[in-house]
Amino acid sequence: MSQKSARAQRSNVVRTQRAASLKPFYIGLAVVAVVGIALIARTAQHSDASRPSIANVAITPVKAEGHLLGNPNAPVQVLEFADFECPHCAEFATITEPDVRKRIVDAGLASYRYFDFPIGEFSNSVAASNAAACAGDQHKFWEMHDKLFQGQPDWSSESNPKSVFATYAKALGLDMSTWNSCYDSQKHLPEIKANHDEGVRRGVNSTPTFVIGTKQIPGAIPYDMFKAYVDTAAMEAKAASHAESSVTKQASATP
Amino acid sequence: MTRSARLIIALLALVGALIALYLTLFKVGVIGQLVCNVGSCERVNTSRWAMFLGLPVAAWGLASYVVLLVLALVSLQRDTLERQVALLLVALSAWSVLFSAWLTSKELFVIHAICIWCVTSATIMALIFVASLAELARARRVDREERFDAQNAAPAAPSGSGPIRG
Repeated sequence: MSQKSARAQRSNVVRTQRAASLKPFYIGLAVVAVVGIALIARTAQHSDASRPSIANVAITPVKAEGHLLGNPNAPVQVLEFADFECPHCAEFATITEPDVRKRIVDAGLASYRYFDFPIGEFSNSVAASNAAACAGDQHKFWEMHDKLFQGQPDWSSESNPKSVFATYAKALGLDMSTWNSCYDSQKHLPEIKANHDEGVRRGVNSTPTFVIGTKQIPGAIPYDMFKAYVDTAAMEAKAASHAESSVTKQASATP
Repeated sequence: MTRSARLIIALLALVGALIALYLTLFKVGVIGQLVCNVGSCERVNTSRWAMFLGLPVAAWGLASYVVLLVLALVSLQRDTLERQVALLLVALSAWSVLFSAWLTSKELFVIHAICIWCVTSATIMALIFVASLAELARARRVDREERFDAQNAAPAAPSGSGPIRG
């Protein structure tokens, strides 16, 4: 037998022995793969499709506009990124926001836009945003906003919070058949996702986060601090407007 | 240690691929909610850091694990190109470990939330990297031994049957 054929024969023997000794390992690997895929398939079937989730919403060209309160042409624009289920947001909405609305928004010093920013930490955030957006169709977004934050402990631990939201909708005098069909259709999810994505784009990573003029401020800040930010933003807006008008005057004076 | 490092790499890569598949299916909307008893998996996976070059980060992870699994399985079948395969395993797992570390730092310091599946995947990748280093060291040792055998065998059997290797 030549050296080459002996080597080939030996190689074949080694290969056959190796395949035989690896057989239990391959069987074990196949079992892990099958069990893993079965678990994933089971999870996919059991993941609650009826609970609204923006993770399932495809990227659509919906403009993030939030929900407006006050004069859109006010000198200062305030944006709030908040999660209806976040306790700090509820704290701000129930303690500080009434003063902000009365003394800043109603006084025409600033406009106020609420952007849904479900942070994914809570299970009913998107459902609550959905309920509020449906109330918004009947011009009662802010009333529903207040009810959701005031009643947060009543619905946050519910597996299906719709019945609690429906009591709010009824109390607000909404047309219940319209609100119900809106809620069930989840037609506002693309807007909720757009609002969330706007926050992501701006680097928001906690709730509540406020954008007041050019400043981004995280946390449920007290009223005095909020007002100070609005005043600073108003001064900046005024200075920018003066600078712009003087540039325009100079340009028009130049022959 | 003979093949144990390659066996470990194959098993870890399969488990990592299953985790990455789970997160990818969530990201593309097939799975509505993640099972996440520790941390905030959805917060992390809906953040801006969950996408890389237009694709979900989990999909990149899935691709890496599949390549690592294939390399480990191929190296179990063949002894040729052992060192090259070991180098590829080290290079890919090193890059993946660095990428995972970057993502984990974003979770800790930017998103301020931890995704337990992502941390598990990062740990698996680190273990694969360690096993790949062990595999590379073994492949180098085998290389050296083969060269040593070849040098010693040549003068001992000038006309005929040298040592036969499988």
